[in-house]
Amino acid sequence: MVSRLVQNTKVMKHAATFLLPSSAVSATNRLAQTYALVVLNQQIPKFTPLLWSHAKLRICADGGANRIFDGVPKLFPDQNQLNIQHRYVPNVIKGDMDSIRPEVHQFYAELGSEIIDNSENQDTNDLHKCISFIREQTSAFDHSNFCTLVTGALGGRFDHEAANLNALYVFSDMRIVLLSDDCQIRLLPKTHQHEIHIQSTIEGPHCGLFPIGGPSVSTTTTGLTWDLCNSEMKFGSMISTSNKVREEKVTVCSDADLLWTISLKTPIHMGLTC
Amino acid sequence: MEVMWHASSFLLPQPQPQEPREDAPPPAALTYALIVLNQRLPRFAPLLWNRAQLRVCADGGANRVYDNMPKLFPDQDPQEVRLRYTPDVIKGDLDSIRDDVKEFYLNLGVRIVDESHDQDTTDLHKCVAYVSGSAPVEDKSKLCILVVGALGGRFDHEIGNINVLHRFSNLRIVLLSDDCLIHLLPKTHSHVIHVQLPVEGPHCGLIPIGAPSARTSTTGLQWNLSDTAMSFGGLISTSNVVKEDKITVSSDADLIWTISIKKPIKE
Repeated sequence: MVSRLVQNTKVMKHAATFLLPSSAVSATNRLAQTYALVVLNQQIPKFTPLLWSHAKLRICADGGANRIFDGVPKLFPDQNQLNIQHRYVPNVIKGDMDSIRPEVHQFYAELGSEIIDNSENQDTNDLHKCISFIREQTSAFDHSNFCTLVTGALGGRFDHEAANLNALYVFSDMRIVLLSDDCQIRLLPKTHQHEIHIQSTIEGPHCGLFPIGGPSVSTTTTGLTWDLCNSEMKFGSMISTSNKVREEKVTVCSDADLLWTISLKTPIHMGLTC
Repeated sequence: MEVMWHASSFLLPQPQPQEPREDAPPPAALTYALIVLNQRLPRFAPLLWNRAQLRVCADGGANRVYDNMPKLFPDQDPQEVRLRYTPDVIKGDLDSIRDDVKEFYLNLGVRIVDESHDQDTTDLHKCVAYVSGSAPVEDKSKLCILVVGALGGRFDHEIGNINVLHRFSNLRIVLLSDDCLIHLLPKTHSHVIHVQLPVEGPHCGLIPIGAPSARTSTTGLQWNLSDTAMSFGGLISTSNVVKEDKITVSSDADLIWTISIKKPIKE
């Protein structure tokens, strides 16, 4: 039972400060994290420039490059479109290269994006490949201080969405957050107790906890409208959907890996002058 | 183990008589019901509506029918379209349906059922329970419930909707979007899926949501499984491709089958 006690004392803290303008991230809510951004091939959320401003490494997965090229200028309709395109140049474009348009490929290649063609590797999906790449680049960093933000992982074909959710489980020792205009999703690994610091100006109140990988015999939470208390959760029976955050700090402790989701308030004020 | 047959013939423009096959009896004719949830209607919603014998809107799904059915028939008078596509029942919390929409359907005699007292189950759960109890079919194995608006949007809603498939695992329920459909393959049966190639495929997947599979076997896919283990954190079958028009699946776990829908579907 000693090892169980050791497990239960490891606390993992989470805070969506990447959704606050940099000026609003204070010493108290900053988690001293370094961010990477992965853009997959779906319509970008409206707050993508904010994520871009926080990220040290910006990667487009194949057609995600089209989404940045076409989508970011539309978020700044009063600005010169070509200027915007020059400001939002990914560090890396990675994938099969069967979706990126030739003119987008050329534009970013000429501006210095590293283009990595993976078409020979059909075994894993685009998100898996990008996260593996980030993992290789950040081996010198402490993974607990590095967080990968992902846009475009939800919606569209369900098997793509499932593969993207599976990436959270496959790379469960890395912080990865899937983001859409409506919500964010993270994995809460069973190896830790979790503290989620709610940024109530930009997220909530709707939230949920899901044991998609396998049932939970015992999950306990605090800070939710319908808290769980050593509760069992499994598909076919009770899972925590349409819950609400009640306090600024939510805690979760479980014997199973859980997906945590929380709704996003719109619009998100980006605090950017571009 | 008993075999369960599946065919997305509800996506075909005209009901097709099932051709007898040497290797199998044709699946029994199904009775369809349609549930409309509160998201943008897929472009083939009228096709499903016409196929269904019972049409239920879950709360704000009524807004979607009211606003969006006319948009799918831009050359026709909106009110005539609304009269043609009137639900049988509107059910749920009733906190999303607009007043003008509620009044319009009340005046047409649509039954509107307020379930706001019941906060324990989702709108889809309530509608499936209602359809299961009310549908004009005695043998529930011949009932197929089609659902639009269950995928996309808030993730906890989507997961709650998928859990309804698990909770009512003895019913045929298909969740549909413009891009794909999903339904449960319960572990209690082995499965034969007759792929309707004019309207669906080739992209497909098998996903063990809720519990891992120690052994799954398939035929008819590009990357078949052979007593293969699947789990989140390990292998799940995504970006697979249908190679034959008959797919078989048998597993020790409940699996979600998903297949892409071809565009456009003609009505």
